[in-house]
Amino acid sequence: MVILLITVAAYPISYILLELPKQIVNDAIQGEAFPREFYGFEFDQISYLVLLCMSFLGLVVVSNGIKLILNIYKGRLGERMLRRLRFELFQRVLRFRLPHFKKVSSGEIIPMITSEVEDVGGFIGEAVALPAYQGGMLVVQIGFIFMQDPLLGLAAISSYPMQAYIIPKLQRRVVLLSRQRVRNVRVIADKIGESIGGVSEIHANDASAWHSADLSDRFYANYKIRYKIFNWKYFIKFLNNFMNQLTPFLFYMIGGWLVIEGELSIGALLAVIAAYKDLAGPWKELLAYYQMVADVDVKYQTVVENFDPPDIYPASRLTLDEDVTLAGDLTMKKVSFSGGAAGQEVFEVSFKVEEGSHVAVVGPDGSGRAEVMQLAAGLLGAGSGRVTIGETNLDTLSESVLGRQIAYVGAAVHVWTGTVRDNVFYGLRHRPLRPPERGAEAEAHNTRRLNEAHLTANPDYDIEAGWEDLEAVGCADLAELDVRALALIEKVGLASDVFRMGLQSPLDAQRYPEFAERILAVRRALADRVTEDAHLSQLVELWRIDSFNNSASIAENLLFAVPADPSMAIDSLVDDEDVYATLKESGLETSLTDIGARIAETMVELFANISDGSGLLGDYSFITQDELPEFERISRLVKSGSGAAALQTADRKRLIGLAFKLIPARHRLGVLDDETRSRIVSARAAFHKRLAGDTRRFVTFDSDCFIAPMSIEDNLLFGRPRVDRRDARERIDKVIRSLVDEMDLRQPITRAGLDFHVGVSGSRLSAGQRRRVALVRALMKNAAVTIIDETAASMSEDDKALRAIIREELTGRTLLFGATNLSVAAEFGGSIVMDQGRANPQGDGNRLMAAGSAGN
Amino acid sequence: MTLDAEVDALRRVPLFRGIDATKLRLLAFISERTRFADGERLCSQGEEGDSAFIILDGAADIRVNTPDGEKTVAQLGQYSIVGEIAILCDVPRTATVVAAGEMDVLTVSKDDFLRLLKEFPDMSLEVMRTLAQRLERTTQDLVALKSSAEKS
Repeated sequence: MVILLITVAAYPISYILLELPKQIVNDAIQGEAFPREFYGFEFDQISYLVLLCMSFLGLVVVSNGIKLILNIYKGRLGERMLRRLRFELFQRVLRFRLPHFKKVSSGEIIPMITSEVEDVGGFIGEAVALPAYQGGMLVVQIGFIFMQDPLLGLAAISSYPMQAYIIPKLQRRVVLLSRQRVRNVRVIADKIGESIGGVSEIHANDASAWHSADLSDRFYANYKIRYKIFNWKYFIKFLNNFMNQLTPFLFYMIGGWLVIEGELSIGALLAVIAAYKDLAGPWKELLAYYQMVADVDVKYQTVVENFDPPDIYPASRLTLDEDVTLAGDLTMKKVSFSGGAAGQEVFEVSFKVEEGSHVAVVGPDGSGRAEVMQLAAGLLGAGSGRVTIGETNLDTLSESVLGRQIAYVGAAVHVWTGTVRDNVFYGLRHRPLRPPERGAEAEAHNTRRLNEAHLTANPDYDIEAGWEDLEAVGCADLAELDVRALALIEKVGLASDVFRMGLQSPLDAQRYPEFAERILAVRRALADRVTEDAHLSQLVELWRIDSFNNSASIAENLLFAVPADPSMAIDSLVDDEDVYATLKESGLETSLTDIGARIAETMVELFANISDGSGLLGDYSFITQDELPEFERISRLVKSGSGAAALQTADRKRLIGLAFKLIPARHRLGVLDDETRSRIVSARAAFHKRLAGDTRRFVTFDSDCFIAPMSIEDNLLFGRPRVDRRDARERIDKVIRSLVDEMDLRQPITRAGLDFHVGVSGSRLSAGQRRRVALVRALMKNAAVTIIDETAASMSEDDKALRAIIREELTGRTLLFGATNLSVAAEFGGSIVMDQGRANPQGDGNRLMAAGSAGN
Repeated sequence: MTLDAEVDALRRVPLFRGIDATKLRLLAFISERTRFADGERLCSQGEEGDSAFIILDGAADIRVNTPDGEKTVAQLGQYSIVGEIAILCDVPRTATVVAAGEMDVLTVSKDDFLRLLKEFPDMSLEVMRTLAQRLERTTQDLVALKSSAEKS
């Protein structure tokens, strides 16, 4: 509406803008009868001209200002619509029923939501504004021409009917082609995504040629379609331009004739021609607009048709926050379901699992077991029949009930990118429960965020809030929740893994000051033990401010600190101002450049004749294959010229970077003498003085402080295992571990392991660890009904023990346990055997075992 | 001891005698220098062998398992190489090697040694020649042993 109003406001101004030049030429320049009176003021010819020109200038400013405001308004509207559209599409994806995901792939969906709707959103802003503004302009300008002379007006629009007829006809072809193009691009995106997902298969089967051919073919198809589109588009443009150029021809003919006849002033003709020139703009824009409408319409259609399956869940299933308590027996009554492929069907399954009982569902893959489990979890909707818990039909419930009161671990578990804690608490994060504390400024930002969310029909959930549903698990605060998570992790046998993760994780010492203090206590105890035990002192070189550590790099020895950013490369340290200044001051700059030059020379000599493929260079050299020529060059310079002294600063820094990486005890290049060692040690103090306690870039080693950028393990050790002793790392690790146990630190370190980042989709965890994390996630939920499928379902001793633990944990609560192995059923009170989509009658485990073996 | 000293030491090992200094430097550089205390084991009989040891300083006892327990059958001194059989062919360690006093050892891993051989064929040739000589000597010994056995 606002856009329309502003647009309408622009019309009279544009009219006056057209009218004024005529006034200036006819009235002010060629006119007579001055002075004139204007609002009680008198003007002579010059000042009258100035007045008119000034008002012209003023109007130009106003009309461009309106354009600016209009554009901003439009852009904002477009962005809001885009956000709304994208969110709606994403929510629709969440509303798809599970079987629908067998038909769609993320490779297709992602470009639809991200790039394909981009144009649609951009268009929405233009949709109202452009035809209103440009159409209005067109009318104003045509009106102006008509006011001057009706005949000229007719001439001006003479080509419009033709264009209006032909262009859409041609445009249709382009529309059909762009539809094809969109589909083709989608397939390309999907194929690329699939290639990345299955990249190990490609390499394992030498299938890269096949995939290359496949994609290359698609790219060719894309090229062909686009080429056709270009042809048509430019042809349309050609036609348009030609017709537009016809009109001036008519102007000069008719207008010229009228002027000669004296029926039209020359000023009017000039103004008409100027107006016509301006006319071409809006007309072109309108045609482009028409093309855009056609194009966007195609894109919108091709996107939206993918998000509207007939059996989509209602939005309320996601958004409702119902308070229904699930209690009672889990019953299936003549439940049938068809997953669309053989082995994914369930026929008239009926059974009853009493509240609080543990029942095994046994059947091989393709027996319908997995489907029955998902039906019981409310993840699938029954085709016919009823799945109920107590009196409640699962089909009628929203996810706020199903997802909170039923825990499900399926055959394929997903671990989210994030920390172990994120994953374990995942099943408790349903709604934002505890609003975060914000300052005034942040609060203002938040208000704006909420306002925008309302305007775009997005949810107003606060991602920064506390989401963990503490009440559901009966914990008072997050610390208690951690304790519960740790207990479960211990139970499912993940504790030693998480402990190891904890050792490798950094620790937020500010958050856990007491814990950091205890780590320091272990460090001191370890240091004592190392000094007392001659054998141990052979294994480790501890950090001491007054002595050189031969098992650590020169960089660490010099700085006696670590970069605050652990990802910072050693050879880039020299680019730090303070580091370089320290080197200069202490004269080490020259010594280290010399050392670097000698290392470079040795490396070039050793590795120059080594082929790329051998891997020796990568494994042992300071230098990678790519850097070798660079150092070869520097090395030649050093040899040919007056030594390292003549080098450029950049080259010197490269050499110092090389020297920084040297670990004397490992590399034994004999380039470091005792004098340099002691100079390096004495440069430490100068460097620390320069830092002056600033911990933003470097954190200095201090035996009484926790060093945040280092892992807990390195903090415990506060030194380096000696590289010239065999298995020093392993042996010293053993000592650390026993100290940790002695000083009761195992639990807090395991807790620190909760902050371990599991990598993209849990890629830093093993398959077994992922499964156990998913299990802990399910057990954390404290759900009334727990459904576990194909997890810990083998006959190995580990799995048996795990099953016993799961059952103990879920005593008094309903458990459905899916397994392929009949012998598993024997452990359970009752079981349901699935066979080709049908369920055999319930009975006790032993009888089923007998029936199973008799059947074989 | 630095790389250059190690190269000198390597040159005294019969297996590496004919190989030129640059390659020995490379071999030394990619090997690990390890110190062993008295009584520490370098390797144990029967386990998978993944490296050879070159004794730079000190001596080692070679022990084998017998029904009466471990028995020292030989002692190797400075500049000898031990465990090279394991890195050339995949056989378990044929004996246990224990440090007799403080030892300074250069450890060459199997993969690196094989990579080096692949990289410098003349080095393999040299190794082959040494092994062939050794085989020749063993054969002669065997012949002598056999004939003396027949005589008696």
